[in-house]
Amino acid sequence: MDYTTDILVVGAGPSGSLAAREAAKNGADVILIDLKSEIGSPKRCAEGVSKQGLIDLGIQPDKRWIARKSNGVRLVSPDQTSVWLSEDTIELPESGFVLERKVFDKHMAMDAARAGAKIMIKTRATSLERVDDGIVVTANKMGEEIKIHAHIVIAADGPGSRIGRWAGLDCNTKFNNMESCVQYEMAGLEMENNNVIQLYFGTVAPGGYTWIFPKGEDIANVGIGVLKTHTDKTAIELLDEFIKNCPETQHAQPVEINVGGDPVGGLIEERYGDNILVVGDAAGFVNPLTGGGINTALESGVYAGIVAAQAITDGDYSKKNLKEYYNLTKENIGKNYDKYKKAKEYLLSLNDDELNDIAHEFVKVDIDEISPKTLVKLLIKVSPKALLKLGKLF
Amino acid sequence: MIIQEYCMYCGACAGVCVADAIDVQELKIVVDDEKCTKCGLCVKACPVAALSLE
Repeated sequence: MDYTTDILVVGAGPSGSLAAREAAKNGADVILIDLKSEIGSPKRCAEGVSKQGLIDLGIQPDKRWIARKSNGVRLVSPDQTSVWLSEDTIELPESGFVLERKVFDKHMAMDAARAGAKIMIKTRATSLERVDDGIVVTANKMGEEIKIHAHIVIAADGPGSRIGRWAGLDCNTKFNNMESCVQYEMAGLEMENNNVIQLYFGTVAPGGYTWIFPKGEDIANVGIGVLKTHTDKTAIELLDEFIKNCPETQHAQPVEINVGGDPVGGLIEERYGDNILVVGDAAGFVNPLTGGGINTALESGVYAGIVAAQAITDGDYSKKNLKEYYNLTKENIGKNYDKYKKAKEYLLSLNDDELNDIAHEFVKVDIDEISPKTLVKLLIKVSPKALLKLGKLF
Repeated sequence: MIIQEYCMYCGACAGVCVADAIDVQELKIVVDDEKCTKCGLCVKACPVAALSLE
């Protein structure tokens, strides 16, 4: 069967659903397709998200998809020195809520449907062809071959976007920018503080970190992201080692395993073209320092939906008329990413001893007095190369 | 390409594939042998070592 629509969104993760919602809300005909039988499952995510970031995008927090609130972060150095930061004193990215992504993603798709988008599940794009006034995507919908003719396609199909590539954009993830990630959702943890998210740095996770994100009294996502340019071990070998050695996790049991690649290289330059916009992980909307991407994925989806709907109204789907999306994302997201990328490069330059020295200095400071400025001052005191690498960034 | 049965179809392999040779479906991975250059990046990127070239 053949379909015609103004806008086709490929992928119903947070960015795709928000793009579909905004485009439909602004008057466009929208089809949203997803290859899976259940939107949101399996999750490929540690589920940390900024509360204010959600509210800013018109998403009212709903207890059905909030597993737990977090009020701070614990940073753990290789010698197990803990630095505790409170949300009251420092703004922490991607923190505030730990989500239940399977429920959250479905709710975002439901909002897209309520705004007027047509949703097709278990529908997998198989090829893409450019035609005079748009793009035709061929897809397999529950075994049936369908063709969807759209003026604009929004690619929300995850890291290394095939849709973007098929449309002629350079959006595969460079190997040295792909965090190789694995996570267990576990029960029976013995957490010292189950209201903070925890990050463990150093050789436990070369090129990344190990995390514990609490989802309940004794429940948490325990995961790891590593850069494979920094280790020959697999992510799962390193995570299993961590779980065996960490007092909080060694008696916990897994009820779920999640895997995935996290693109931390920053925004992909070619995230728009004639008749196409690329959003979410597919365009690298992931904080290069933290690897967190839910908030910015959602934000990119909103910009794409608005810009695409306007282009439909204009009757002009050219790259030139879609450039506003590039500008908005560069201004509101990309500029921050450039700073985080510098911070990440600095972090990656530290060995275990240097990480320990920094942690020792930090624990001497009254937690209530820590601000971004004092953090950087402290860093420079104990690690002079911070001045060189971070300069006046923060 | 050998894909172990514990593959969870996350697509980390496809994301880094420079040849766009890997098609990740919901419960299946299809590798286009004509496009594949055997560079091995997908093998390294896999978080659980579910892929091998031989």
